[in-house]
Amino acid sequence: MKKFRFGKILDTGLTYCILIAVAFIFFFPCLWLILASFSASGSIYSFDGFFPSSFSFATFEKLFTDTALYNYPKWFFNTLYIAAGSCVLSTFLTILTAYTMSRFTFRMRKPMMKITMVLGMFPSFMSMTAVYLLMTQFGLINQRWGLILIYAAGAPMGYLTQKGFFDTIPGAIDEAAKIDGATNLQIFTKINLPLSKPIIVYTALTSFTWPWSDFILPKLLLKERDFYTVAVGLMSLGETEFARFAAGSVFIAVPIVLLYFFLVKDMVNGMAAGAVKG
Amino acid sequence: MKEKGKRFADCVRRSSWKVRLSAVVMGGGQFLYGRYFKGLLYFLTEIMILTYFILRGGADIAGFFTLGTVKGDAWLGTKGDNSVIMMLMGIFAWIVIGVWIILYIANLKDVWRSQRLEEAGRPQPKFREELSQLLDRKFYVTVLALPVIGVCVFNILPIVFMILIAFTNYGGTVVPPELVDWVGFSNFSKLVTLSQFAPTFFRILGWNLLWAAASTALNYFAGLGLALLLNKDCVKGKAFWRAFPILAYAIPGFITLVAFKFMFSYGGPINQIITSSGGTAIGFLGLDAKWTARLIGLLVNCWISVPSIMLLATGYLSNRDMSLYEAARIDGASPFQQFRKLTLPFMLFSTMPVLLGQFIGNFNNFGIFYFLRGGLYVDGYFLASDTDLLINWLYNLSIDNNYYCIGAAISLVIFLITSVLSLSVYVKSPSYREEDTYQ
Repeated sequence: MKKFRFGKILDTGLTYCILIAVAFIFFFPCLWLILASFSASGSIYSFDGFFPSSFSFATFEKLFTDTALYNYPKWFFNTLYIAAGSCVLSTFLTILTAYTMSRFTFRMRKPMMKITMVLGMFPSFMSMTAVYLLMTQFGLINQRWGLILIYAAGAPMGYLTQKGFFDTIPGAIDEAAKIDGATNLQIFTKINLPLSKPIIVYTALTSFTWPWSDFILPKLLLKERDFYTVAVGLMSLGETEFARFAAGSVFIAVPIVLLYFFLVKDMVNGMAAGAVKG
Repeated sequence: MKEKGKRFADCVRRSSWKVRLSAVVMGGGQFLYGRYFKGLLYFLTEIMILTYFILRGGADIAGFFTLGTVKGDAWLGTKGDNSVIMMLMGIFAWIVIGVWIILYIANLKDVWRSQRLEEAGRPQPKFREELSQLLDRKFYVTVLALPVIGVCVFNILPIVFMILIAFTNYGGTVVPPELVDWVGFSNFSKLVTLSQFAPTFFRILGWNLLWAAASTALNYFAGLGLALLLNKDCVKGKAFWRAFPILAYAIPGFITLVAFKFMFSYGGPINQIITSSGGTAIGFLGLDAKWTARLIGLLVNCWISVPSIMLLATGYLSNRDMSLYEAARIDGASPFQQFRKLTLPFMLFSTMPVLLGQFIGNFNNFGIFYFLRGGLYVDGYFLASDTDLLINWLYNLSIDNNYYCIGAAISLVIFLITSVLSLSVYVKSPSYREEDTYQ
């Protein structure tokens, strides 16, 4: 009996050791980035090992005031505009698509599901050149809502998780409502929509963060400095501007991190429910 | 199929002249049955499509085959054909033809229904009723119209375009105003035989497969392990411990990658520590750092992907049937045996689709080496480095260096590999073969 308890203590101790190591591994680079953003000198070469030798708010001030070459506030609002726009449109389209795919049986349903699966296997930016040509034809280069259009148009392809979620809502409620004379539109808006908060949160969050941190598409379509998103802008910084990069990163990572922490419960629920059947 | 043909023949034989009118002029039959609005709608669509084909669609279809015949010449001032735009608009014209055929069939079915209604002595449907059906019985038509159009224009059209590009000589010096031509499969044979492409192609392919397998396995087991660890009864304050991986998960990927690039760079903190303690700086991600760079890529990818797998696995673990574990404990199974015989099969079964998605995602993981070692060209590789995956090579070739047709051919190879692999794995997987084991 005694030996058993000793093993248990050892087990607990070991578990906590691993947990502390894991926490350190995940936290350390973040801490490094945050501290670097408060460094007084700005260049990575003047650091003392991992951490800057003196701290100040100067970099953050510079980020928002010194906008001649690197117009961070402008980039920030471009990113916000694109991410918010595509979040609203994508969520709307994805949820509706997933709902119909889950609840309706029509002749084109299976073929459409197969087609989206096949389309999903093509490498994502194989079609970039074609998209670029298409956008020049439509005159949407250097237009922020051209990007929104592309993000929103592609979003319904990732409807599977959401469909899985709707599959788990029992259809018996729908039947009852139908007998009472509700139309399919009413069944969706009055019954299923209020039940699907977790999956809406999940969809909104993923479709917001994707444009928020995407790099390739904005780089391809937004050629002028004033239209840059934060990702493209930060990547155009040189190695000597490390503190500015860190400050800019921290500033756009903070809202996302907060969102994740507030919504993580909904997200995990949505993800797990959706994927079980997905 | 035979049944269908018989029914079709029956329709043709028994159809009234009104139905036959609709076969010639879309909407004509509906008009004569007293469904003026619907008839008019069909008629107007036909007029619109025909106008499109007379004005430009016909020429676009022709252009699709020829890809331009007149070469532009700045000296003579002739405005030549732009082959690429011609191909794009040609594909668009094909899509319009497809839509037309669908509408035409819908039109015939509609008017045939009208005839049968009349024969049965029932009233024709009112236009208003049919419209309100769009919010009820045919709700799905209304809802799916927008996504389908979007996917057609921004996904299917570009993908079809690139597939076709793989069979032309577009790229290199052959860009508009030069004329592009169809060349059949020669791009693919170039890829595997030409000394310019072939060695690079096979080296990158080998590394790409190794990378996908290694990183998927590593991420999966690390994520599962972490989830199991956090799930243990002895761990107090689970939310606190879980916060660290979530933090890593929430930070945008490009920030993480660039930060790690700085961390391992020549002037970065790790090298500073090494130099200050008397060593010489190591080029972790430098030109000749083949395996260290690969290893760093693997670990950094782990840092980025493990949290999401952990979250997912946590969700699944709570769905386990705990009575099985109770039984196993009574039978004297050790924790490791429980893991091997109960947890692992269950997790593999339920996360098989996720695992497949992870594998394909890692196979096409563009970001990792683009941000860690982007823009590096190494000896022995044609416009690529020794850590680049096929997708990075594709990017270097087609977006940075204008080798469009070779890039398109590589995309098709990637597509072939991922689809064949995932299909065969999926068919062999337990979640496909014994669907109700865990239900």
